[in-house]
Formats: sequence, C-alpha cells, structure tokens
Amino acid sequence: MSDNTKITLEVFRYHPEGTGQTASKPSYDRYDVPFHDDWVVLDALNWIKDNSDGSLTYRWSCRMGVCGSCGMMVNGEPKLTCAAFLKDYYPKVIKIEPLVNFQVERDLTVDMEQFMEKLESVQPYVIRDDVNQTDDGEYKQSPAQLARYKQYSMCINCMLCYSACPVMGSEPEFVGPAALALGHRYNLDNRDQGTSQRMDRMMEHEAVWGCTFVGECSTVCPKNVDPAGAIQQAKAASAQKYFKKFFVPKGAGK
Amino acid sequence: MSKSNEAFWWSLFSAGGVLAALCMPVFVLITGFLIPKLVGGKEDPALVFYDMFSSMASKWPVRITLFAVIFFSLFHCAHRIRHTLMDLGLRHSTGLLAAICYLSALTGSVFAVLALIRL
Repeated sequence: MSDNTKITLEVFRYHPEGTGQTASKPSYDRYDVPFHDDWVVLDALNWIKDNSDGSLTYRWSCRMGVCGSCGMMVNGEPKLTCAAFLKDYYPKVIKIEPLVNFQVERDLTVDMEQFMEKLESVQPYVIRDDVNQTDDGEYKQSPAQLARYKQYSMCINCMLCYSACPVMGSEPEFVGPAALALGHRYNLDNRDQGTSQRMDRMMEHEAVWGCTFVGECSTVCPKNVDPAGAIQQAKAASAQKYFKKFFVPKGAGK
Repeated sequence: MSKSNEAFWWSLFSAGGVLAALCMPVFVLITGFLIPKLVGGKEDPALVFYDMFSSMASKWPVRITLFAVIFFSLFHCAHRIRHTLMDLGLRHSTGLLAAICYLSALTGSVFAVLALIRL
C-alpha cells in the first residue's frame, strides 16, 4: 500500500466541561488518517492525537486485548479498537463513538462509575467463612474444578457487553452481563463459600431476571466469556433456590 | 431493588423449552411420518389414522404426557413472547402484558384438557 493512502475517521466529539468557545455540543469531526494494512482503529486514533488534534480524549492501555480499556462503538458495533483493523473497513469511512448505554464524560470516554458499583454488588471475589493459615498451604483445586468456571474468569471488564445488551438500554438498573457472569464465576469456584450472600443480589429482579436472553453480550465478547450462558446457568440456580424456600423450613440445612 | 417471582415463570419456560425440544420432533415423526406411512397403503387411510391415534391417545399416560408437553410449551411461548415484547419497548405496563401472555397460555391449556378428555 502506498504511503499516501488515507482512510477517513468520523469521530464523536463532546467536551461538556468547557466554557464559552471550548464548550461543545455533541458533534462529529472528520480526520484523514494514513492507511496501513497492519493498523487498528486505536492506531488511527493515536495518530490523530499525535498529529492532528491533541484534544481528542479516549482510554487505552495495552494494545493487545487484555486491559479492556479501548472499547468503543466502531460503525455502531461495540469493539475493542485495538482489535478492529482498518483494512476491514477500508475504503469506507469509519465512525467512532463512545460505548452506548453509558454517560459520556468527554469525547470517547464514558462514565464507568455505575458499572463499577454493579460489579462490586455481586462480590466478585472468593469469600471464605474461615481463612487458612499460610502454613496450611494453598487451597487445592483440581483441573475439573478449574474448568467449571475458567471461561467466565476471562472477562476483562471492557463493558462491550453492556453496550450490546438491549435490556441495558431500556433498564439502566439492570446489573448487566459482565457483573452477573463474574458473580456466577465465583459461585462455581470450589474455594468460595459466599454463594448464598452473592445470590441474594443475583436473584433480584434487576439481576439475572432482568435478562431476556437476547445473547448479544456473548456475540460481542472479545474474550469468548459467554455471559449469556452464565446468566442462564445462574437463572437455573436461582430458580432452584426460589423453590427450595417453599419446601425447606427456614434456617434448616444451613 | 426487588425480589422477584420471575423464577416461577422462568421454570415453566425452561421446562417448556426442554419438553418442546425433546418431544415435539418425536411427535411430529410419529404422527406426521410413521403413522401415515403405516396406514398409507390401507383403504380409507384417514379413518385408520384416526383410529390408531385416538386409541393411542386415550390411554391415560399418553394423555398426561400430551398435556404436559402442551401446557409447558404454551407457557414457554407466553414467556418468550412477553420478553420479546419487553425488548421491543413494551416496558410500561409489564403487569398487564404478563397477565395477557400467561392467561393466554392458561386458556390454551384448559382447551387442551377438554380436548384430551374427549378423546
């Protein structure tokens, strides 16, 4: 490809905090960016920031699909921009927007606060009634026990699934795919003893039961976590718990 | 944040999905292909088909099985339709929507009982 080949990016711009001339209403700016076969959308954004417009704001870090910070809408689809190659869109214009279903902070960055609160609310960490002394050694886990939850532990919190989920758009209280999948991941972990306290949250109307099984979360997931599958399994576990309370007297079998 | 009775409806949905997926193809195979093939060469195949099917379906275990498949499948459909409509934007009158969907399934089930008893 010759050095002069260009591709056009149409980028969402919004600087809500500015005053006077620097304040802006949401708008789109167009940039002509050098086209290279091995460039991803994130490379193009970095080129814009270095060469064309230093005020462009977006999150990124690892450039290799591990950190989960560079998620954006690329032509209307939630994608990690470090994994979206320009050549897959060339010669068409690529439209870059912040992840939908989130509040925009500035340009392509979104407010993650609510997501973090939801994530915290399912207690995505190993909960123990008793904690072994270091001398007692580690908690053993067989390959089979690891396999039960490993897939769900691959989540990088990139929030693409929150942008893909139609329930998220119409019910902002919905706990959402990634958080529910991570809650389920710890419920499946044999070292964990916190299932019942985690399930109190996960059985709520806004949690697993908010899911209408559209499945888009699993389609867009860059790590093949399959949050939709995790939510369906969590629904089955919730249903078991729901019916159990009619048959098992309170406090029994604890 | 609220507790949910969705588990109850989801269980019917789930049971319906399993039963529909497992039993429906078998029923279609039996009533749509095997019996017609069996009676195909006979005189007045429709009558023979009816005799065979009604003698089979009038046995109580078969009636109960048929009812279970119909009942759960209807509630499966009702639940799926309800959530699809919610996805399409009908989120304001969810109680009414649920009532319409599940009452339809219930009505269908009552008709199924009447039909199965008459067999």
